[in-house]
Amino acid sequence: MNKQIRRLALGLLVCYVILFVQLNIIQVGREQALMADVRNNRLTTRDFNRPRGPIVTADGTIIAQSVPSPGGAYKYQRVYPTNDLFANVTGYYTFGYGSTQLEKTQDAVLMGDTDAQKLKAISGLFRGENTGSVVLTLRHDVQQLAAQQIGDREGSAVVLDPKTGAVLAMVNNPRFNPNDIAGVPTKKAGEVLTLLNLNPSKPLLDRTYQERYMPGSAFKVITTATALSEGVTSLERSWPSEKAWTPPQTTKPVGNYGGSSCGGTMAEVFYRSCNIPFAQMAIELGPGRMVNGTKAWGIGEKVPIDLPAPAASYFGDAANFTQNLPLLAIGGFGQGDDTMVPMQMAMVAATVANGGVMMKPYVIAASLAHDGSVLTQTTPEAWKTPISAEVATTLTTLMIGVVNQGTGRQMQLANGVQAAAKTGTAQLFSDGPEKSNAWIIGFAPADSPRYAVAVMLKGGVNDEISAGTGGKLAGPIAKVLLDHLLATETPAAPPASAP
Amino acid sequence: MPTASPVAAARRSTELGLVVMAAVITAAAYTLASMGKNAQIPQRIVVFLVALLAILVLAHLANRVLAKGSDGTLLPIAALLNGVGYVMIARLSDRLAGLQTTWTFVAVAAYVGTLLVVQRASDLARYKWSFLLIGAFLLLLPLVPGIGASTGGAKIWVSIGPISFQPGEFAKIALALFFAGYLAEKRELIAASTWRIGPIRLPEPKYLLPILLAWGFAVVVMVAEKDLGSSLMFFTLFVVVMWIATERGSYLILGLLMFSGAAYVAWRIFDHVQLRVNVWLDPWTRYQANGGKGYQPVQAWFALANGGTSGTGLGLGSPNKIPAAQNDFIFAAIGEELGLIGATAVLIGFILIIGAGLRVAIRAERTFDKLLAVGLTTILGVQAFIIIAGVIRVLPLTGVTLPFISYGGSSLVANYVLLALLIRISDGTARRLGETPDELTLGERWRAWRLRRADKRAIRRGDPTTASPLVGR
Repeated sequence: MNKQIRRLALGLLVCYVILFVQLNIIQVGREQALMADVRNNRLTTRDFNRPRGPIVTADGTIIAQSVPSPGGAYKYQRVYPTNDLFANVTGYYTFGYGSTQLEKTQDAVLMGDTDAQKLKAISGLFRGENTGSVVLTLRHDVQQLAAQQIGDREGSAVVLDPKTGAVLAMVNNPRFNPNDIAGVPTKKAGEVLTLLNLNPSKPLLDRTYQERYMPGSAFKVITTATALSEGVTSLERSWPSEKAWTPPQTTKPVGNYGGSSCGGTMAEVFYRSCNIPFAQMAIELGPGRMVNGTKAWGIGEKVPIDLPAPAASYFGDAANFTQNLPLLAIGGFGQGDDTMVPMQMAMVAATVANGGVMMKPYVIAASLAHDGSVLTQTTPEAWKTPISAEVATTLTTLMIGVVNQGTGRQMQLANGVQAAAKTGTAQLFSDGPEKSNAWIIGFAPADSPRYAVAVMLKGGVNDEISAGTGGKLAGPIAKVLLDHLLATETPAAPPASAP
Repeated sequence: MPTASPVAAARRSTELGLVVMAAVITAAAYTLASMGKNAQIPQRIVVFLVALLAILVLAHLANRVLAKGSDGTLLPIAALLNGVGYVMIARLSDRLAGLQTTWTFVAVAAYVGTLLVVQRASDLARYKWSFLLIGAFLLLLPLVPGIGASTGGAKIWVSIGPISFQPGEFAKIALALFFAGYLAEKRELIAASTWRIGPIRLPEPKYLLPILLAWGFAVVVMVAEKDLGSSLMFFTLFVVVMWIATERGSYLILGLLMFSGAAYVAWRIFDHVQLRVNVWLDPWTRYQANGGKGYQPVQAWFALANGGTSGTGLGLGSPNKIPAAQNDFIFAAIGEELGLIGATAVLIGFILIIGAGLRVAIRAERTFDKLLAVGLTTILGVQAFIIIAGVIRVLPLTGVTLPFISYGGSSLVANYVLLALLIRISDGTARRLGETPDELTLGERWRAWRLRRADKRAIRRGDPTTASPLVGR
């Protein structure tokens, strides 16, 4: 019988070896696939029971943090102390609906899961928390002021450091409050998200860089820059005062705002924002040079920002314009098919301010380990050089004219600081009442620019749309922002720089 | 008084060392689970450790007194598995932890009680027919209207007043005792196979009848109680013991064919069997549909994947996501928090306990002892295999408890009784091999004392003829 008992032992051993093999298949072989299964929320559960580091503005305001939640379903609760103010940048971090924006892209740093952080954790095994933090270039005061200035109107504002590309503020209205999504049960969060998704103003999008709008006359900066670079125009050129001009391939004339007659020197037509000279410049440049000119500014490429899913501005393609020169003509003054991302427009102003070098915009100044040591630090990077320094100087002169004599007089700053700007009023042709996008882009101080700004108020119904609408509506916001930025400067260390 | 040989003494000191290690590992795991879950050292850790040590040392002392020569590894392995299970149950639910504590005490008491009552394993062979009746009675008990209760489709519970238990857990021991007793007596007759039907040689029908009866019970359990796991376990027990007793491999094949036949028919006829098989083959599409029958196995896989190689750490996983994790699915909870390493340790624990059990069988000299040890070990090994295989989808899931680990009083008590019987067989062998003095058992001493007293009284009355010849003067 002992022979059979030994065989039985072997048989049972084989059974258990089969179990061991299957365990290996599940726990090692298929571990990744099973953890990636959408029905498996254990990873999220694990994360929600671990602390998560904060996201902090350049001026030290915590805009996202985890707080212990003794009575809650999980050990920590993600809270956003500034409510809706930075929602477009932080995004939200939820159990049931994933995470967005920096909460998503900086997850590893915040959870302490980067290789560098794990290495530190090994060396300090029993020292507890290992969470990282993310420090932004954004300033709480500037962000708040921009939000106040936009108020209840629908629109966006961006403030950049033209030398580095650091974003100091990026605000939209309407916004959403991430606490309404991250701080409520999953079912309620789903309802909130559904409502936000149904909102035609797209509050869940960061429209400063994820949406594009018709730029109107603000686009004339790019047309003028291309024309100056190609020798099509100069400060010496002037245009007769005309009410209408008919571009090739059509009988339908192009007019100025309100059908007025408009003309004069280059500086004059720029600050008065006549349309016809810019339509003519676009036609004179022709589809090829005009499209290449816009491409030099990165139009057609996604905004190179360190946030997810950026949009690309659009001008059009040369082959199409060759067939449709009237479209190219109105594109020259920012109408037609032109659509620009507000961030891109801020970058246009910043490029002029920065002597023709376009910097990559960024919001993350640095990521820090739990002990405060630097994990990553953003080094400013040039993206493109669309114009020469001379053209930049010429454009600055033209944009100073807009502030001093033209459509952007609202941008005359406190303490006599000279600003440079360009307004835009894009006429939106829709079925309803006539609407416009009111734009202003600019920078200050004009002689040594430290701040570039773009403000866009969307689709307001205006009693009378004029070339000055952009200046009237968006200009005051830009002025308040620039005045505040200049007033809060400390001479030794400008707050614009990353900590 | 003769003393134990060095071999037997070494077994006891090994046992003590291993039991203390099991207690320390359990207490450490308990502390870690509490720190992982609540970030604090359990308040009553000292009480816990003392109680744990006390109960395990008590069981060890019982071995020292009642089973001096028994195998020294069985108790510590069982204690470790019990401890790991307890830590996991305590981590899943405070309420169940309290109940499981009580059950552990009851189980160890049952262990000591079994050692006390059963002083010589061979005595049990005499009661084989009683055990068959008890086994059959217990198996059929859940079918009695009014006291039978069903959970999760299987009718395996009995509720009498406030007490609920699974009689099947005890029936398995009774049936193992019956098989061992019956086959130890009739093995030669059955092996002779003198009944010829054409080319097939079979044992005489009258010897075969009890075996067919047992097979019939397995089918009844499967059909009437919808308890596939227990029926598979009983059937394996019976086929294995038949095979070992007759030394004829054909019984293994015959048994396999009979069970496969019954299983196939059951699969064809019964919806719940088909559902089990379908969920086994593909739980993913049945995750929420069909009343979510696939939810539990899928969650078990997620839990195991979450554990990965080294586990999330005790108290740091989410084993509560698996429905009823404390019962049938406790292995997945262990795999999540202790990882592949911890789950493999549990597998090795069972392999070691099976190895120790079969070593007891091989060393045993009497046929009954051998067959009983094989039967008990097979129950333990196959039951653990069936449920782990079900949880990790090697086999269709059938609800049986994981011995020593799962939550539940019936299971824990029954398995400690089973352990005590193995210890008793092992001790008996040691006595016969002269490794430990074959002293009179407590029962025998009691009887001897009574006889002696009767003798003395008879002598005092002046009637020496009635004095027992057994007792020396």
